[in-house]
Amino acid sequence: MTDRNPKLLIEASGVSKQFANGTQALKNISLTVERGEVLCIIGPSGSGKSTLLRTLNALEEISEGDIQVNGHSVHSSKADLNRLRTQVGMVFQQFNLFPHMTALENVMLAPLKVLKQSESEVRARAEQLLAKVGLADKAQSHPAQLSGGQQQRVAIARALAMQPSIMLFDEPTSALDPEMVGEVLEVMKALAQEGMTMCVVTHEMGFARAVAHRVLFMDHGEIVYQDAPVAFFDAPRNERLRNFLGQILKS
Amino acid sequence: MSSPAKKPADRVPWIWHGVYALVILAIGASLYFASKRIDYSWHWERLPEYVISTEGEEIRASFDGFVEISEDGKTLTMTEMKGAGIETFSGFSQVLVGQGDLVFQNDVLARKPGMRPGPLLIGLWLTLKISAISLVFALPLGLIVGLGRVARNPAARNLAATYVEIIRGTPLLVQIFIFYFFIGTVLQLSAFTAGVAALSVFTGAYVAEIVRAGIEGVARGQMEAARSLGMSYPQSMRYVILPQALRKTLPPLTGQFINLIKDSSLVSVMALTDLTKAGREVVSSTFSPFEVWFSVAILYLLLTGSLSLVVRRLEKRLAHD
Repeated sequence: MTDRNPKLLIEASGVSKQFANGTQALKNISLTVERGEVLCIIGPSGSGKSTLLRTLNALEEISEGDIQVNGHSVHSSKADLNRLRTQVGMVFQQFNLFPHMTALENVMLAPLKVLKQSESEVRARAEQLLAKVGLADKAQSHPAQLSGGQQQRVAIARALAMQPSIMLFDEPTSALDPEMVGEVLEVMKALAQEGMTMCVVTHEMGFARAVAHRVLFMDHGEIVYQDAPVAFFDAPRNERLRNFLGQILKS
Repeated sequence: MSSPAKKPADRVPWIWHGVYALVILAIGASLYFASKRIDYSWHWERLPEYVISTEGEEIRASFDGFVEISEDGKTLTMTEMKGAGIETFSGFSQVLVGQGDLVFQNDVLARKPGMRPGPLLIGLWLTLKISAISLVFALPLGLIVGLGRVARNPAARNLAATYVEIIRGTPLLVQIFIFYFFIGTVLQLSAFTAGVAALSVFTGAYVAEIVRAGIEGVARGQMEAARSLGMSYPQSMRYVILPQALRKTLPPLTGQFINLIKDSSLVSVMALTDLTKAGREVVSSTFSPFEVWFSVAILYLLLTGSLSLVVRRLEKRLAHD
C-alpha cells in the first residue's frame, strides 16, 4: 500500500453485490472518503444505499470488488473484522440499544470488553460522551425509559466510545417521530464540526445541504451522481436526480 | 408507569369465584361418593407412618457375638464370638434381644426413640436429588447444544440437530433402558449415575430447543450492533444475546424442569427407589393403593409447586430490573 493516498480513509473499488435470489443490490461501485469528510448518501428506498453502508464494516458481504478501510482490506478472508470494526462506528435506524443495560452500560460495554480498558477510564469517557449528546442525567435509565431521540443519541455515544476514525449512520432519523429528528441531527452536526469523518445515509435533505461536503445519489444499486451540496441540490446535472428531488419537494 | 383505567377483568363479579368453588366442591363430592360406593376400606391412618416413621432408630450389631444386658436394663454389651471386640450401647427405649442371646452381624438389638423419615420421604429425597443433579447437567448441555443449533458452522449445527431429533423422537422410558442396560454396562455406571445421565441427556435436548427459540427471539439488530462495536461472536452472545434470551426463556425452562421432576418417576424401572418406586413398595406393605397414590401425587405437587413459586418470584424480580 505504498501508493495509497494517506488522506483516504475508505477506498471502495468495483464493488458489486448480488443476493442469493439474483437481485443485484450493488453494481460496480467505486467510492472514496477522505479523512474529515462528511458524505451524505441519498436515494429512493431499495436503491442500495443502506447495503453499501453496511458493506463498509462487513455487516454485509460483497460479491466482487475490494473495500479498504484505513488501508486494510475489509472483505479479504484474512481481515481481522473485530479489530477493524473498532475503527468504524455505526448508528442504526432502529437504534439497537441493548435493552437489558442502562444507557451508561450500553456505552461502556464494548470499550471494557473489546479494548480491555480500565473501568474508571471507560466510565469517565462514557459519562463525558453522554453529557456531550445531552443525556448526562439519563445515564442510569434503561432504553425502554428513553424516547426515540434519546435512544438514538445514546447509540451515537455508544459508537463514539470506541473512538472510531469514521462514523457510519444508517438512516439515523427515519424511525423517529418528527419532533425528535432535530435533537439527533444537532448531535451529528456538532460531530461533523469537530472534524469526524462521517458517511450518512439519510432522507434529511436539509441536513445534507448544511453539513455534507459531498452528496451522493444512488439508484438501482449504482452511484448515479455526486457533487458538492450546493451544486447537488440547486443545479443537479442529472435527470434521475432531478426527478427524485422533485418528488421529495412535492411531498 | 401510569396505571391505566381498571380493566374489566379486575371488576369480574364475585359470583365467578363462587362458581369456581362450586365446581371444585362438586368434583370433590362426586369423588367422595364414588369412593363410598366401591368396596374398599379406606385406611388413611396407615399412611403417616410411611412418611415420617416414629418407630425410632434401630441399633444393629456390627459383628457376631453374645448379648449381655446390665441389671438396670439401660446398657447393652456385645462380646464378639470369634475375637476380642466389645461394643456397648445405651440410650435405647426398647430391647429386642434377651440376656445371653447369640446374635449375628446386622441383627437389630434395640430401638432408640425418635422420628426418622419413612420410605415415602426417602423416595421424595431421591426424586429431588436425581432431578436436581440432572438439572445441573441438563442446563449447560442444553445451552451448548442450543448455541450449536444457531451456529453458522455446519458441523456444529448438524450435530446439534441430530442429537435433538434422536432424543425427541424416542420415548424416555426406552432411553432409560438403553442407558441402564447398554451404556450403564459398557461404562460400568451405577443405576443412579445411569439415571442422572438419561434424564440429563433427555432434558438437555428440550432445553436446547428452548434456548434456540430464545436466541432467535432476540432482534437481529442486537447481534449487528454488538458486532459493529468490534465484539466477537462469543462476546456478543455472552454479553448481549444470551442475557436477553435467557430472560425470555425462564417460563418455558421452568416448565421443562417441572417435566424433569415428573419424568424422573420413570427411573423407578431401574432399581432406584424414588418417590414412585417407594409408593409401589408402600402399597405392597399396606394394601392401600388408593391412599398411597394420592399421597404420592401430593408429594410430587409439593415439589413442582414450590419450584413454580420460586421461579415466579424470580421472574417478578427480573421484570423490575
